[in-house]
Amino acid sequence: MKVALFVPCYIDQFYPQVGIATLQLLEKLGVQAHFPAQQTCCGQPLANSGCERDALPIYKHFVQTFSDYDYVVAPSGSCVYHVRKHFDKLEQTADVQHVRGAAYDLIDFISTVLKVETLPGAFPHKVGLHLSCHGQRGLHQANESEMTPVRDGQLHRLMASLDGIELTQLNRNDECCGFGGTFCVSEAGISARMGQDRVADHVLNGTQVLTGSDMSCLMHLEGIVRRAQLPIRVMHAAEILNGVVT
Amino acid sequence: MSHAIRADKFLLDADRTTWHDETLWFVREKRDRAVYAVPEFQELRELASGIKNHTLSRLDLYLREFESAAQANGVYVHWAADAAEHNAIILDIIQKEGATRIVKSKSMLTEECHLNPFLIKHGIEVVDTDLGERIIQFRDEPPSHIVLPAIHLKKEDVGDTFHTHLGTDKGESDPQRLTEAARQHLRAKFIAGEVAISGVNFAIAETGAVVVCTNEGNADLGVNLARVHIAAMGIEKIIPRLSDLGVFTRLLARSATGQPVTTYTSHFTKPAPGKAMHIVIVDNGRTQQLGRPDFRASLKCIRCGACMNTCPVYRRSGGHSYDFTVPGPIGAILSPNIDMKKHASLPFASTLCGSCTDVCPVKIDIHTQLYKWRQVLGEANEIPASKKWSMKFMGRVLASTRVYGLGGQFARKALRLLPHGLTHAPSMNAWAVARELPEAPKQSFREWYAKQPQPAVQPTQPQIPA
Amino acid sequence: MSTASRERILAAAKANKPEELPLPTVPDFGGEATIERFTTVLTGIGGTVVRMAALDELEETLQQLFPEARNTSSPLFRGTVPVNSQTPTGILAEIDLAVLPGEIGVAENGAVWLPEANMLHRALPTITQHLALVLDHRRIVATMHQAYAQLPHTGGYGKFVAGPSKTADIEQSLVIGAHGARSLVVVLY
Ligand code: SF4
Repeated sequence: MKVALFVPCYIDQFYPQVGIATLQLLEKLGVQAHFPAQQTCCGQPLANSGCERDALPIYKHFVQTFSDYDYVVAPSGSCVYHVRKHFDKLEQTADVQHVRGAAYDLIDFISTVLKVETLPGAFPHKVGLHLSCHGQRGLHQANESEMTPVRDGQLHRLMASLDGIELTQLNRNDECCGFGGTFCVSEAGISARMGQDRVADHVLNGTQVLTGSDMSCLMHLEGIVRRAQLPIRVMHAAEILNGVVT
Repeated sequence: MSHAIRADKFLLDADRTTWHDETLWFVREKRDRAVYAVPEFQELRELASGIKNHTLSRLDLYLREFESAAQANGVYVHWAADAAEHNAIILDIIQKEGATRIVKSKSMLTEECHLNPFLIKHGIEVVDTDLGERIIQFRDEPPSHIVLPAIHLKKEDVGDTFHTHLGTDKGESDPQRLTEAARQHLRAKFIAGEVAISGVNFAIAETGAVVVCTNEGNADLGVNLARVHIAAMGIEKIIPRLSDLGVFTRLLARSATGQPVTTYTSHFTKPAPGKAMHIVIVDNGRTQQLGRPDFRASLKCIRCGACMNTCPVYRRSGGHSYDFTVPGPIGAILSPNIDMKKHASLPFASTLCGSCTDVCPVKIDIHTQLYKWRQVLGEANEIPASKKWSMKFMGRVLASTRVYGLGGQFARKALRLLPHGLTHAPSMNAWAVARELPEAPKQSFREWYAKQPQPAVQPTQPQIPA
Repeated sequence: MSTASRERILAAAKANKPEELPLPTVPDFGGEATIERFTTVLTGIGGTVVRMAALDELEETLQQLFPEARNTSSPLFRGTVPVNSQTPTGILAEIDLAVLPGEIGVAENGAVWLPEANMLHRALPTITQHLALVLDHRRIVATMHQAYAQLPHTGGYGKFVAGPSKTADIEQSLVIGAHGARSLVVVLY
């Protein structure tokens, strides 16, 4: 199995520890992932801003970079969703189709490809899950409150399998955090308010560690937590899992 | 003015924003409970979507079938290409009747066509009889929601309005007593009404009937007491068969308010003896939308309002922030079809979280259409120039590994070296108004990776820990 | 002007419509067609269900339910106000209680089908202060699909009535008795 690691630009620059944890966690699960250095971005920031045409060269670059791999794994469901859903704008060559199917969110990869649903290790904290909308509603990594009262999902299962962990029951299980890519600056007021409300739900229900599998949501939530100086630690799920699995 | 600017005004009153958000979330939760209780709900959505798709694919034929059936029922059928024609037709009917007192039940179409001000200008008294609509009519405001038109108001606001217009006690804000005052006031209007105007929820091609769903009973009361009934409908209200209503009536109220069905589901097929019934069929941009393959599914909308109640942006910015007759996610995909320039910011008033798509009872791919409108607006140069050029620049940078590496390093170093006050200045950085920027690490992931002993790129077998 | 617009709209709809898609068949989803379910649901939306053994107990039952009703109207017994399709609005507006035969009850949502033929006057079911619908319990079906399947046609006018008139337009507070009947009783026999 030839696995590439895709580390989105903002993780590369601001959260290198998340990229490192992803790589190490995969290694512990027996997967030697490779990081092709010529990678840049999936193009989502441009496309979501209405500049899909300007993003096409980025899409092509992405496909070229990753077409030799069986899987492309990223600690960011949003980028993966973009590759799977919106690379339909490219001519659907064999390479393009392959890369679209090969792109996986880290947690999705662990759950559906490696078929790991439980992990040995302890994390004795109260942990609140942030389900990213693109991971949950887009990649179907978790049940949606719009459809069913049953709260279940890949991240939920992996986390719940850790010893000593307690998962927070939120008042609103899966409300969007308000990051939304460029939305976070073009609609800064609403974006911030959504993030504050999301964090408040965690505070109210006792979250000590806030985690998720999409670093972009977490970057936004972390910014709010730090501004308000709240006693919540924000960690990517890869950091938690890599820390507890030996 | 953009949605963001209007939203910021709404957000200024933080407590009211909380209240608005929670009030609508409460409706969303009622919807969830009603949906969970019907095991076949997801199948019903699929069926509703299928029926609507089919209908749109034969729209001209069903419109003809509907027209013939309605005419055979003794109903006058009129066609209006746009809002002006719709208004003129209705005024003409009213004037030929020699009527001046009109009672109207809820119709988003007449709102869309701005019928009320038009009639009033021609000396006609038009009274909105839905309670929420009456409240905002007194206040001279547009509706802020398609199902709950006065949802932006608190009971104290309604109390003030009724004190002014209906003479209720000053400070009276009990919903029960305010509703009773409106009941008494509107009963007199119903009894005096000469012509009743109603909207249409469904128009059945097979029978020529129009179906109107209300909780208050205002459409039934108005129509059945007046001499003339005028029903105004968009061309997309057609469904093929009576039996299709089994699907739609099971979805509509559950999605809208969490009720199992609206109190009244009224089928108006023929005028009562000695009375008259007119149906005005309106295009007003709908055939144009039908011709846009990416956006035609928006015509499946049954106006349940669920996408508004679930939208985290709508709940925190209020319906008026959309400045369009239909607010919320569905409004954001309908409005650019009407006026791309004016409504250019609406498709961007979303995080694309997709919740709207997942509650929509007719499975409109709302968030995908928002994304696609952004592309159309981008191509038409209807996005701010600064955004456009920075995106073009980013596009070039991100397509090249070398330039990309330099740009990222520069930003991170700047963040690390510049003083907090500069990087977090609200005037320069919208992010930093409410959020800290990430702490810039000393080295990027790729810098770290380059220093690691490089693994050979070859197939590995995953080892799963027990 | 209307004819030209008609041609234009129909032509545009024809030109712009997508390729034809099939019309799905709607299955009968089954469901629970019981008095219990009907009663629970109708009670939950503000209505009341009353049982009686046979139709001839109707007047007595109503006496107990509405001892104060002075102006009553019904096709099922001699009420105090005779109503037909020509009855003037002024008289209709004074009616306290209308007692009308319902045709089909829907267990999933508490709705009762009321055709024009059973209404005496089209406005009666909404203008009356209180409404009682009399229904044969054997006419309860599970869902709206089954209800529509049993309707031969909808006549000139007809409606499903589910509970009393209500509104939540002021701050989402539920208020029973908006414009139509303030209360709804379904009398099952
Ligand atoms: S788009 Fe869907 S959810 Fe929104 S109002 Fe229309 S039918 Fe309801």
